[in-house]
Parts: sequence; C-alpha cells; structure tokens
Amino acid sequence: MTRYLGDEWTLPGINDATRAWFTSGRLKVQRCDDCRTWQHPPDEICGGCQGNRLSFAECGEAGRIESFVVVHRAVHPALEDRIPYAVALVSLDDAPGVNAIGNVLNAAPDELAIGQRVRAVFEEVSQPEGGEVLRIPQWELIREAR
Amino acid sequence: MQGRAAVAGVGESVYYMRGKSPDSEFQLACTAIRNAVADAGLELTDIDGFVSYMDQRNDPLRLAHALGLKELRWAATTWAGGGNNAAGAVQIADAAVCAGYAKHVVAFRALAQGQFGRFGRPRGIGGRAEGDMAWKAPYGLLSPAQECALHTKRFMHDHAISQEALCDIALACYANAQRNPRAIRYGQPLTREKYHASRWIVEPFHLYDCCPENDGAAAIIVTSTERARDLLNTPVPIVAAAQGLGPKYGFSAFQGRWFPGMFYTSVGEAIWQRSGAKPADIDVLQLYENFTGPVMMTLCEMGFCAPEEVESFVADGALEGPDAKLPFNTAGGNIGEAYIHGFELVTEAVRQVRGESTCQVSDVSLSLVVAGPGYAPGSAVLFGVL
Repeated sequence: MTRYLGDEWTLPGINDATRAWFTSGRLKVQRCDDCRTWQHPPDEICGGCQGNRLSFAECGEAGRIESFVVVHRAVHPALEDRIPYAVALVSLDDAPGVNAIGNVLNAAPDELAIGQRVRAVFEEVSQPEGGEVLRIPQWELIREAR
Repeated sequence: MQGRAAVAGVGESVYYMRGKSPDSEFQLACTAIRNAVADAGLELTDIDGFVSYMDQRNDPLRLAHALGLKELRWAATTWAGGGNNAAGAVQIADAAVCAGYAKHVVAFRALAQGQFGRFGRPRGIGGRAEGDMAWKAPYGLLSPAQECALHTKRFMHDHAISQEALCDIALACYANAQRNPRAIRYGQPLTREKYHASRWIVEPFHLYDCCPENDGAAAIIVTSTERARDLLNTPVPIVAAAQGLGPKYGFSAFQGRWFPGMFYTSVGEAIWQRSGAKPADIDVLQLYENFTGPVMMTLCEMGFCAPEEVESFVADGALEGPDAKLPFNTAGGNIGEAYIHGFELVTEAVRQVRGESTCQVSDVSLSLVVAGPGYAPGSAVLFGVL
C-alpha cells in the first residue's frame, strides 16, 4: 500500500506511548481504569483522577472532521511533489474530547469540509529495519449514496 | 507589580533577514543589552540579573563574563521556548526587582536563525518522528504555521469569519512598518490586492499572514521605579503582568477543551483583575502575530471583542496608524518590523509610554503587550503611567 505522503516519508517512533495507536490495527486510545477518562496523547498519570492505572481501550472507527488545513508550501524537500495535501483533525465518536491528526485518503483537499463523517482505515507499513508491522490510522470520507 | 518596578531602558540590535546578520547571536544579544544599558544611563557593572526565554542559547554566565558584570543575583527563564515567553520574561524580571533579589535586571531575546536553524521549520524530520512529533509528522503536520492554521480554520468556520479579517490584520502591520525605519518591511507597503494575490502557505494563511524569520536582539532594563527616577529616561512602570494555563504544545493543543484556542482567557482575566483596567481602557496594543489568525482569536480571548464581532472589530483600518480605534503593533510587529520572538513588541510598548514611537499614539497611559498565542503558558504585561 502506498502511503498518503509517500512510502519514504517519516514514520512514528514506536514506544509504550505510541505502540497501541500505530500498530494495533484498531483505534486504541489511553483510558483510565478507574475514572474511565480518555486521554490522548497518553501520559503516565490520569488528568481526570490523578490515578496511574491506565491502559489502552478500543474505540469504534467512526469520527468527524473538526478542522483541516491544505498545505501548499512543503516544509520538507521530501514533500515537494506531494503538495497540495490536506491534514485533518478528526474527533472520535466513542472517545469524547479526543481528536486525532490524520489524512483523508479518498478525498482531494478541495472536497473536505468541517463536519464531514469519516471512518478509520489503516496504512500497513513494514518497518525498514524489521520488527512489528505498523498500521497507521488514517481516514476515509463516508460518502452518502445518491 | 502595581508600578513598583519600571523599565528604565530599551535597546536592540539592527534587525536582519534570517541568515543576514554579520554578527553571531551572542554578539547580537550583547549589542542589544549594551544599548539598553546606555539608554537607561547605567553602567554594565550595575546589571545584576538576566531573564530570557527557556531555550535561551546565550546563557547568563557567559553574558555576565562577556559584559564584565560584578555580580549575578538573578538568572531565570520562563517555560516553553516560544513567543509566548515575551511578556513572561518581563514578569520574572518584575518579580525579582519587587522582591529585592536584584536591582537592575535585563530581560532580552536574541535570535540568529541563520546560525542556529529556523523556528518555522520542523526539527528532527528525516529519521523517526519522536515525542510530540510522532502524532503529527507522519501525517504531514509539521510547522507552527500549519498548527495555527488548524485552529484558525475552525474558528473562522464557527464564527463565519472571512479572509478579509486576516488581511486587515496583515495590512495594519505593514502600514505601521512604513513609518519605522528599523522595520524589515520598511519601504515595502502591502495592499489588499497584493495580499489576495499572494500564494498560499497553508490555507487559510497566505504568504502575508505569516511573519518573516529574522536575526536580531532586543532588551530592556527593569529596576525599581524609585531608582529609575534618577536615571536618564522617564521610567515606564510595570502595572501588571500575567502568565496562564494552556495545554502542552502541539498535539495536546488539539484536544478537548483547548481546541480551537490560543490559551489567553486566563491571562486576560489576570491582567484585568490585577490592574483594575478593562480592554476599552487600553490606549495601544502590541499583540504577537507569528500569523494573523491567532491575533483575532486572542483579541476575543483577552476580552477586546466577541468572536462574532471580530471581523468588524479589525475592519476599515481599525488597527492601523496612531489614530486607529485600537492602535496595534505600532512599530510593525513580527510581520512588519522583525520577528525577534515578540521582544520587539515589548520595546515598542515601552516607547509608546515614553512618547518615542515612530507611530506615536497621543496621551498613552496604558500600553499592553500580549505575547505569543497558541503555545502555553501565554503571557501579557501592561505598562502605564501611574
């Protein structure tokens, strides 16, 4: 699968904070075992109850575009032939207050609008140095049937 | 704090386009500090404290030795390394002087982006995206312009604000810079047509919505108002200063209660409560514009107008020139004068109270600086005639 910004573009570092999001093939967000507060990005203490019993819980794959930008000026040489590209901010239906950055794979930048419904899809990427396969959460517009 | 400390001197280096300074960043810092000390009528040996921004590369001990200080009684920085620190640095100097920990404290900022790399460019891209960047860079969200645009896009959508509001803010900065020979954009006027014809950087920001990147330094001397009365220039008292809560930078700023926002509501509440003033009392405003969009959001959060009013609040030259409805960024700001990480706004606010601006507002008694929006902790400082 070709990535939205090209197969050579930078990948996330994988560690205890990022592993669930970028490798599980599901939308997994940190949640407090005690007070059930969703927390994104993850941290070591729950901002809701100050507890430290935190784990990653699965959310449904539906979301909404809260905002987006269209990038016309590449700030890295590797993106010169990718502009213009869009970056969206998507809220997760099942995790109130949690927003994720992503790209909308099945839409041109000028097709996007705030409020559009989207669902998660995953870009599978083998890490060049080996190890676990990344499954990077991305988005698709849910197009209404006409 | 309630006028017990004051600014006794201001100074700056020449401002250059990024990479054009013949001097190093450390040399620029020393030049600005020496100019501020001379402006106050002090000697370098009178200085006993330094305050700057968190990622300050010109550390206080190196400065103390280079400048021949006899003692260093106070050295501190604010948290987080962006333009949000501009007024917070003044607040820390104010606190040191009011508490009696030091007598003559320098607050300053020096930047040589040619020497040390650009703030507007992402760092660490090439290998893996780590830390905060892990959540953004794989998706192509990389720069402060892109992050501020994401907030701005939603704010404009929610309140039906047109591109003209952003244009009006850019026009005010450029118009005011035409009066200021120090300004990078001096002699380069901007028109509405030229604004709209300019290329997009990241929608909704055109080229002219974005400040340039510059090399230079600016500094002030903070001392007690009582001591300042015996010095060369009229003291400019620090009436009130504040920092306020916001999210951690970047990805955290897009979560929950913080999106969209610039994190200035609590800063505004503190400034008005501590000073007893209200937004309508402000004679002249310096408000940090790395980009135009954050300006309109911050005007609303500070209480100058409601989001539904902001487009008309900035329209028809309402921010432009010395006789504006609200004189704004009167030396040109980051966009027109120079991007010295907002410290050029501090020196201009002081000059307005002294009556020495190139775009002088008449009868200034309250001169407000609001530092960088969009990155927390935000800060503001109110200078005034007591």
